[in-house]
Amino acid sequence: MKVLVFIKEVADTEARIIISSDQKDLEIENKYTVNFFDEFAVEEAIRIKESLKDVEITVCTFAPPRAVEALRTTIAMGADRAFLIDSRNHESDDPLIVSRILAGFAVKEGFDLILCGRQAMDDESANVGPMIAEFLKIPHVNQVTRLQVSGNGTAEVQNEIEGGKKVSEVLLPALLTTQKGLNEPRVPLITGVMKAMKTEIAVLDPAAIEIPFGSIDRETSKILVLSYELPAKRPSVSIIEGASPEEKATGLVRALKEEAKVL
Amino acid sequence: MTRDVFVFVECKDSVPRKASLELLSVGRQVASHFSSGLFAVVVGSGVKDAAQMVSGYADTTVLVDNESLADYGWDTYGSVLEGVLKKYEPMFLLGMSSMTGKDLFPRIAVRLQAAMISDAVGLDLEGEGIKIKKPLFGGKVISWLAPKADSMVIVTFRPNSFAVGNAGEKGPIVEEQFTAETNPGIKPISFEKTGSKKVDLQEADFIICGGRGMKAAEHFSMLDEIADLMGGRTGASRTVVDSKWREYDDQIGKSGKTVSPKLYIGCGLSGALHHIMGMDTSGVIVAINKDPNAPIFQYADYGIVDDLFAVLPALKDELKKTREDT
Ligand SMILES: Cc1cc2nc3c(=O)[nH]c(=O)nc-3n(C[C@H](O)[C@H](O)[C@H](O)COP(=O)(O)OP(=O)(O)OC[C@H]3O[C@@H](n4cnc5c(N)ncnc54)[C@H](O)[C@@H]3O)c2cc1C
Ligand SMILES: Cc1cc2nc3c(=O)[nH]c(=O)nc-3n(C[C@H](O)[C@H](O)[C@H](O)COP(=O)(O)OP(=O)(O)OC[C@H]3O[C@@H](n4cnc5c(N)ncnc54)[C@H](O)[C@@H]3O)c2cc1C
Repeated sequence: MKVLVFIKEVADTEARIIISSDQKDLEIENKYTVNFFDEFAVEEAIRIKESLKDVEITVCTFAPPRAVEALRTTIAMGADRAFLIDSRNHESDDPLIVSRILAGFAVKEGFDLILCGRQAMDDESANVGPMIAEFLKIPHVNQVTRLQVSGNGTAEVQNEIEGGKKVSEVLLPALLTTQKGLNEPRVPLITGVMKAMKTEIAVLDPAAIEIPFGSIDRETSKILVLSYELPAKRPSVSIIEGASPEEKATGLVRALKEEAKVL
Repeated sequence: MTRDVFVFVECKDSVPRKASLELLSVGRQVASHFSSGLFAVVVGSGVKDAAQMVSGYADTTVLVDNESLADYGWDTYGSVLEGVLKKYEPMFLLGMSSMTGKDLFPRIAVRLQAAMISDAVGLDLEGEGIKIKKPLFGGKVISWLAPKADSMVIVTFRPNSFAVGNAGEKGPIVEEQFTAETNPGIKPISFEKTGSKKVDLQEADFIICGGRGMKAAEHFSMLDEIADLMGGRTGASRTVVDSKWREYDDQIGKSGKTVSPKLYIGCGLSGALHHIMGMDTSGVIVAINKDPNAPIFQYADYGIVDDLFAVLPALKDELKKTREDT
C-alpha cells in the first residue's frame, strides 16, 4: 500500500515577522517547523505501516529548499522517502495552484491513501486537502480523529463534524486530513536521525511534473495580495481597582456596561 | 456571469445560524456596491421555515429541500450547490469559515475554478472593487487581498466578523430541484452527538475561558453557570484540555479554535501566544489573573488582579443583576 503524506513547513509561532516599508512583502525570521497538524499525519502513516504489511510512506512538500530539514524530520520519525518540489519561481498565493502541483505529484507517484494536516498554521486556509481530493476525484474526510485501515482497501474513519463525531467507512483511494487527538506524534530515535542524515532527498522542479489539472503559472493566480499591515493595537489595559474582589467585580461589570457597552 | 452575491446559509437543527445572517447583512452592502442582487441559498431537508426566515434579508432565496439532504455531506451538498451556482452564475459566494465551510467550499472552488479566499474577518468596498481582510500567522499580520475579476469568488468569513442587520421585506423564495449525488466511496456508519452544548463556540457572543489557574475540572461549573447566564460558552486553554478537565472541543488557540466573541473573559490563564492567536480578534477582552505581570494583561481591555475564586462568584451575581435589569 502506498501512503502519501503532504507536509508544510511553517514559521514558528515565536518567529519575528517584519512587514516591508512598502507593505508589499513579509520578512520572516528563519525559524521554521513542521506544521503542527501535519505531524499527526506523518505519525499516522507510520502506525499504518507498523500494523500492515507492505506499506511505503512517501512524504512531499512544495517549498523552498530549506524545507529539506522538515522532510528529514519525517524520515527520522519513520517515513521511507521524501520529495521536495521546489517552490522558487512558482510561489503562489492561490491555493488552487498549490493543490494542482501536489495533485500532479500524487498522480505521478501513485497512492492508496493521502494524508494532509487539517490546516496550515500560517495561512489557515484549510483548503489544500479537499482541493487535492477534488482534483484527483477521490473522496476526502476532514479532521480525522480515529483511523483503522484494513488490508482490503477500506478504512474506518472517525471525524469531527458540526455538532458531533461521525464514523464512516471509506473506500480507498481517499484523502484524509488529520486533527489533534488522532495520535501522539513520536520523537525520532537517534537511529532514525542517523538514517535521515544519510537519506538522499530528491528535489523536483514543478515544471518537470506532468500536471493535468490546469496551469501552475503564477500569472494564473486568481488572488492578488494588495498589502500587509500590523493588526490594530488595543489601548493598554485598564485595571479595575477595588478594596475587595466583590468591589472589583462590580467595577468591571459597570465598565463593561457603561464604557464598553457590551452588556 | 452576473454580478450577484450569493450567501450559503448554514442551518443548525433547521434554523439558520447567526453567522449566516451576518453574511447576509454584509452581503447586502456588497450587492449595493456592485448594483446587483443578493441571494440566500438554503439547502437541506425540512428547511422551508429557514428559507422563510432568511428571505427577509435577501432579494431572492433559492431553496433546495429534499430528504436526501437531511445529513450534511460534501458529496450531496456539493452537487446541489454546484448546480445552483452553475445555473445562476453569481460573482460572489459568501460562506462561513466553519467545519462545514472548510469541507465544502474547497471542492466547489475546484469545480468552478473560483478564486478562493478563506478565513477572512472583514472587507472594504471603497473604490471599484472589493478588498478582503485576512489575518495571517495567527493574527500577527493582517493581509488585504483582492480577487481577480474574471472568475467567481468564494470568500469564507469567521463568525462574528459582521453585525446582523435588520430584516426587510421578504423577497421571493424559488424552490429548485437538484439531485443530491452521493459519493460511493463514503458510507456513513454512525453519528455521535458531542455534549449538549447549545451555543457553538465559534459563534458565541460571550465566552468565558478557563486556564490552568482553575485548578480542577469541577471548578469549571462556575464558568458554565456564567456562560449559561449570558447565553454564551465556556472555553479552555490547551493546558486544561491536556489535563482532561475539558474536551478538545472547548480549546481556544492556535491548535484549537479561533474565536471572536463580542466579550471574552479569560480566567486563570497566562496569555501564551498560542492562546492569544485564537482570540485576539474578540471585541472586548477581560483578564482575571492573580499575577499582575501575566502576559494576558498586554492583550486585555480590562483586567482584575485577584484570586479568581474570590472574583467569580461576585462576578456571577453582578452579571445576573444586569440580566434581570434588562
Ligand atoms: C496573503 C497571502 C500571501 C501569500 N503569499 C505567498 C507567497 O508569496 N509564496 C508562497 O509560497 N505562498 C504564499 N501564500 C501561501 C499560499 O497561498 C498557501 O500556501 C496555499 O494557499 C495553501 O494554503 P495553506 O498554506 O493555508 O494550507 P492549508 O490548506 O491550510 O493546508 C492544509 C494541509 O495541506 C497540506 N499543505 C498545504 N500546503 C502545502 C505545501 N506547500 N506542501 C505540501 N503540503 C501542503 C498540509 O498537509 C497542510 O496541513 C500566501 C497566502 C496568503 C493568504
Ligand atoms: C504548537 C503549540 C500549540 C499550542 N496551542 C495552544 C492552543 O491552541 N491553546 C492554548 O491555550 N495553548 C496552546 N499552547 C500552549 C501554550 O503555549 C500555553 O502553554 C498554554 O496556553 C498555557 O495555559 P494556561 O494559560 O492555562 O496555563 P499557565 O500558563 O500555567 O497559566 C496559568 C495562569 O493562571 C494564573 N492563576 C493561577 N491561579 C490563579 C488564581 N487562583 N486566580 C487567578 N489567577 C490564577 C497564573 O498567574 C497564570 O498566569 C500551544 C503550545 C504549542 C507548543
